Amino acid sequence: MSADSRNFKSRRQFMFESCGGIGGLGLLSLLQQEGLLADSCSANSNASSPYSPKKPHFPPRAKRVISLFMSGGVSHVDTFDPKPALSKYAGQPLTGKGEIVVRQGNPGPLMPAIFSFKKYGQCGMDVSEIFPKIAEHVDDFALLRSVTSLSNDHVQAHYGLSSGVIRMGYPSLGSWVTYGLGAESQNLPAFVVIYDMHGGPFGGPADWSAGFMPAAYQATVFRAAGDPIIDLHPPKEVGASGQRARLDLLGKLNEMDAANYPGNSELSARISSYELAYRMQGCAPEAVDVSRESEPTKKLYGLDNPTTEPFARQCLMARRLVERGVRFVQLYHGGLGVQNVDTWDAHADVRENHGRHAAEVDKPIAGLLTDLKARGMLDDTLVIWHGEFGRMPISQRGVGRDHNPGTMSMWMAGAKIKGGQIIGSSDEFGYKAEEQPISVHDLHATILNLLGLDHTKLTYYFNGRNMRLTDVYGELIPQIATV
Amino acid sequence: MSLRSLILLLTAQVSFAAGPISFSKDIQPIFETSCWKCHGASLQMSKLDLRTRDSAIAGGEHGTALVPGKSSESRLFRHVAGQLKPLMPMDGKLTVDQIAAIKQWIDEGAKWDATAPTTTKVSGPSEDMQLPPDARKMWAYQKPVRHVVPKNGEAHPIDAFLAETRNAAGLKAAPQADKLTLVRRAYLDLIGLPPTPEETTRFLSDKSPQAWENLIDRLLASERYGERWGRHWLDVARYADSNGYEHDFDRPNSWRYRDYVIHAFNTDKPYNVFLKEQLAGDELEWVNYETLTATGFLRQHAKVGFREKDNPEFRYEYLDDMIATVSRGILGLTVQCARCHNHKFDPIAQKDYYKLQATLWGAVEVDHPLVPRDQAEAFQKANAAIDAKIKAVKLELANLEQPYKDKLLPAKYAVFPKNIQEAIATPEDKRTPGQALLASQVIRTVTVPSEEIQKIATPEDNAARKKLNAQIRELEKQRPAPIPVAEGITDGDYRFTPDGPGDEPAPGKGVKRAAIEGSYLFQGSGCYQAPPSYFLIRGDVNSHGSEMQPGFVSVVTYGNPPTALPPPDCHTSGRRLALAEWLISPDNPLTARVFVNRVWQNHFGRGIVATVDNFGKMGEKPTHPELLDWLALEFQNRGWSVKQLHRLIMTSKAYQMSSQFADANALAKDPNDLNLWRFRIQRLDAEAIRDNILSVSGALNLEMGGEPVFPKLPEEVLGSMKYGIWNDQEDGPQTWRRSVYVYRKRGLPFPMFEVFDLPDQNISCGVRNISTVPTQALTLMNDAFVIKQAKIFADRVRSAADPIDAAYRLALARPPTSEEHQVAETFLKSNALDALTHVILNLNEFLYVR
Repeated sequence: MSADSRNFKSRRQFMFESCGGIGGLGLLSLLQQEGLLADSCSANSNASSPYSPKKPHFPPRAKRVISLFMSGGVSHVDTFDPKPALSKYAGQPLTGKGEIVVRQGNPGPLMPAIFSFKKYGQCGMDVSEIFPKIAEHVDDFALLRSVTSLSNDHVQAHYGLSSGVIRMGYPSLGSWVTYGLGAESQNLPAFVVIYDMHGGPFGGPADWSAGFMPAAYQATVFRAAGDPIIDLHPPKEVGASGQRARLDLLGKLNEMDAANYPGNSELSARISSYELAYRMQGCAPEAVDVSRESEPTKKLYGLDNPTTEPFARQCLMARRLVERGVRFVQLYHGGLGVQNVDTWDAHADVRENHGRHAAEVDKPIAGLLTDLKARGMLDDTLVIWHGEFGRMPISQRGVGRDHNPGTMSMWMAGAKIKGGQIIGSSDEFGYKAEEQPISVHDLHATILNLLGLDHTKLTYYFNGRNMRLTDVYGELIPQIATV
Repeated sequence: MSLRSLILLLTAQVSFAAGPISFSKDIQPIFETSCWKCHGASLQMSKLDLRTRDSAIAGGEHGTALVPGKSSESRLFRHVAGQLKPLMPMDGKLTVDQIAAIKQWIDEGAKWDATAPTTTKVSGPSEDMQLPPDARKMWAYQKPVRHVVPKNGEAHPIDAFLAETRNAAGLKAAPQADKLTLVRRAYLDLIGLPPTPEETTRFLSDKSPQAWENLIDRLLASERYGERWGRHWLDVARYADSNGYEHDFDRPNSWRYRDYVIHAFNTDKPYNVFLKEQLAGDELEWVNYETLTATGFLRQHAKVGFREKDNPEFRYEYLDDMIATVSRGILGLTVQCARCHNHKFDPIAQKDYYKLQATLWGAVEVDHPLVPRDQAEAFQKANAAIDAKIKAVKLELANLEQPYKDKLLPAKYAVFPKNIQEAIATPEDKRTPGQALLASQVIRTVTVPSEEIQKIATPEDNAARKKLNAQIRELEKQRPAPIPVAEGITDGDYRFTPDGPGDEPAPGKGVKRAAIEGSYLFQGSGCYQAPPSYFLIRGDVNSHGSEMQPGFVSVVTYGNPPTALPPPDCHTSGRRLALAEWLISPDNPLTARVFVNRVWQNHFGRGIVATVDNFGKMGEKPTHPELLDWLALEFQNRGWSVKQLHRLIMTSKAYQMSSQFADANALAKDPNDLNLWRFRIQRLDAEAIRDNILSVSGALNLEMGGEPVFPKLPEEVLGSMKYGIWNDQEDGPQTWRRSVYVYRKRGLPFPMFEVFDLPDQNISCGVRNISTVPTQALTLMNDAFVIKQAKIFADRVRSAADPIDAAYRLALARPPTSEEHQVAETFLKSNALDALTHVILNLNEFLYVR
């Protein structure tokens, strides 16, 4: 470690100035080539940075993920999985399927789709009238109609989707991906969650926890307004110049101290972490500042409309974040303000609930897909859309639907996935998955596969064995995965 | 379904199209080798028996398995073809031809030209695993051996053992650290707080040869010690103040267990007694409030808000958590790996797991009253009497209001869609099945608010209602003051557990019942009998094997220890007491080793066995096996005294070595310091960082024990959780308590702790991870709490003759070097004193034990 390369200020200035421009791995490797990161990044990335980039097991098709989680449970029979039998047998009990377990009260009779369907795209996929904009992208995504959930309880189903286990304490998908691949950018967290303006989703922070892995792999929550991260900026009384003065003194004193512990990578990593933090202060607000986008882009996402504005902001932030090297962005729509109102949990009234929420997300999501495609990013970005379970084909008090873990519809776009295809099917009523049931483990195996990771090889030693995201399960979805 | 099975299906349709299939020739051989093991004579998993055509059509728990003529509707075919999960048979896929044969056979009508197989022909999966003859060969399964302390000139036995390996590796030991380093090391290590300048001076001026021992004794006598080392055990016990999961209900008395642990360490409760009380505090000869509180150990798992009695699958999850915690936390074994099959690496049979499960099976949650029995009974009686009175009044009220409700309900129904109104309007016996469902959904759930009744009731009835409601309120007021309780466990029958606060009915299992149905606690005469528990085939809760008797992990069980030690009045099974006795017996090879290793790890930053929770084959080998054994035996000989163990370890030269020693030879040969050639620097854990900040600023409130505190959280953090509690308090002395007293909310880890690697609060944790991430820097640089403490710190030293010197002595237990002083002075020319103190709280040196 030469005295020059440890020079605090010059390094800082270089980093800080470059964080907005060249994003991600490009910058890192450039700096490494130039020898500019010799001690600040490579030293700590070898020794103790949990985020240093790692090689995938095989060439990936996607480098990053944007996950759109519709919290509360979307009714598949009213959105992506039309069932004529529901009209035919409307008002009759659902029989021959064993005991019908509902979450609230007792089962009602079969209820036809609340919304009408139309065929879209070259593939002629049926999509509900409440998603007219997303429907324009049917040729860009693969629809999965037979995804099963691990629980009919919101929280456990959330945990199941995020970690493959319905218990707390297991690492989430985003944590596994960050653990497996590291970060593309050292200026921003690798795994970011942005949740609904109404509050966090069912399950709360455990949804994005690192479980038994180091805490460093959990998500950082970004807020959609104001400072994106808590404690990102010094309080006013300290101010930017006050903080810089403190950091400079800290650096000086720490460097003097480090001389007593030559070669201790942990101490030098901690010294660099202050500079990384300082860069993050500059990079994070810039990364989520959607006001820097052009007017047409803002319009494209629906930022100009009060109904679509909140989720448009989340989607646009997501695009800016992945563009700058964030590995995994998890968006939630639906937060625990008033459960049946602010989430997709349409016990009371599907038309009212789904009608409203679809209007909030339809344009922003379509805008995101259009934008990613226009920027050439859709090819190596995976976008997934789903809830935590489907909803019942039977009615709840005439107009609502209860939870149904038996099947749900989800879609996956980007990552060179063949668009327009429909994978799997549910039974004639949409009660259970029928052809090619897909478990959350299959889903996780497939997502890791697209990222170049073999789910049977991505392991973390804990509890006496090599743990996997997919535990002992998980089969690749052959129509999507690289097999 | 994998691509392979897709292909299988395609080929299946062509390859067997030729002639009809014979059951006896083509199918029965497949059934014999692949199906009847689990769905035959000895076993009918999922209650499915495939031995006859009728029994296959009748099916099992998941419905019919065979629909003759329709392979696509037959679960039998769909499972073997991979269309349904799990793929059958479980121990390997059928061949393409076999699957095709089954498909064709079913489509041709599933003709069955054979009789049921005899029971002897096929045997089920064995529950028994014989231990291999050399199973006990591994060191961890053998009892510790008293090794002779090597004679190599080292006075302290620990140093003598360490010198052997160090010398063999050709390494030189570091010299002793200076006294200032040592005093700070001892303080941070034993009590988790830095020494005050006065305490530092006291140590420096003690010129007696016992100065170091005196210091250790002073620290061990401090109540701060239990707060520090109790916290280490609380990690193992996965202690928290809330339930976790969706509702994350508060556990209002969980803190009593936390205080029990702190007190146990402070009073040097022998570790064997400590274990006994936590596992069987309700079964001892000396049951008292403290031992009852200790049973909270077995109640520290995260818990769903659904009742176990309706959801037996959760019962198994909680038991699994207990087994994992006892086996990893106390035995250093990963017994829970044997839940579904024999352990893959260690000689732990699946049966061992279910023996342990049987040992714990009787445990039910109970709030032990912490008042004399007569007082507790009087409390319960008084409450029950009030319940009964309120029930009567409510009934009267309901009868009075019913006619009005009947009048108001039709208008309520009018808001529902037409089909529901029609269903309700249709007389009950005329409703179609669908209408019956709709009507019942609505009729059961629509309520009439009291105000609406008020509007239409006669004045007389309203007066009567008012009176009755007043009576209810009056009765509520008469309830006796709550008595203190400890959240613990005892033996009972979970199937009859009453609904506690927050217990929700299971999904689809009807409305919540408030009444106690049956007795879950043993109250009758005679002896308590634990409910039966079973071996679960492949860990499947629906596949019962034999009924299990209690027992332990065979490979580490010597002799024939009793598996139940019921107390004289046999109000409990005594199984947990037997488990505790087995754990602390001199014959148990692991318990003492595992604990001394934990203590060693917390002193040195690395265990003699680095995988402190796993002494099995997949764990790390001990770096100093003889020393480990010597310590384990010494610990037991000294009456399992934890304080004596600390003294023993800390008086070694090894503990007092310098951490700055940078011997090039040693660094090259042993960079990870496995031979302990120097002291390893260790970052403070999350709680200690906060405690140190508070202590240095002088703001630390040393009040001990009691209900947890809720330091202020930013709005945006509170916004991420909806359920459970966080009774936000002002940032001030009432929350400036030691971090062990901060509310542990499973669903919302305290952000400052989380950023500094707080372990997941739902799993027993023996080693905390240490990461270095930018968010830690953000917290220490920008968090309002830290900045406020920096100011208080500045105020504390402002009037000192030399504030820089005073600040260094408080934070780092040393004066600044002249160079440091110079730099700080220059800094202060253009910056305020609290900027300097803030920087000091961020120094690497401040965050490390070294």
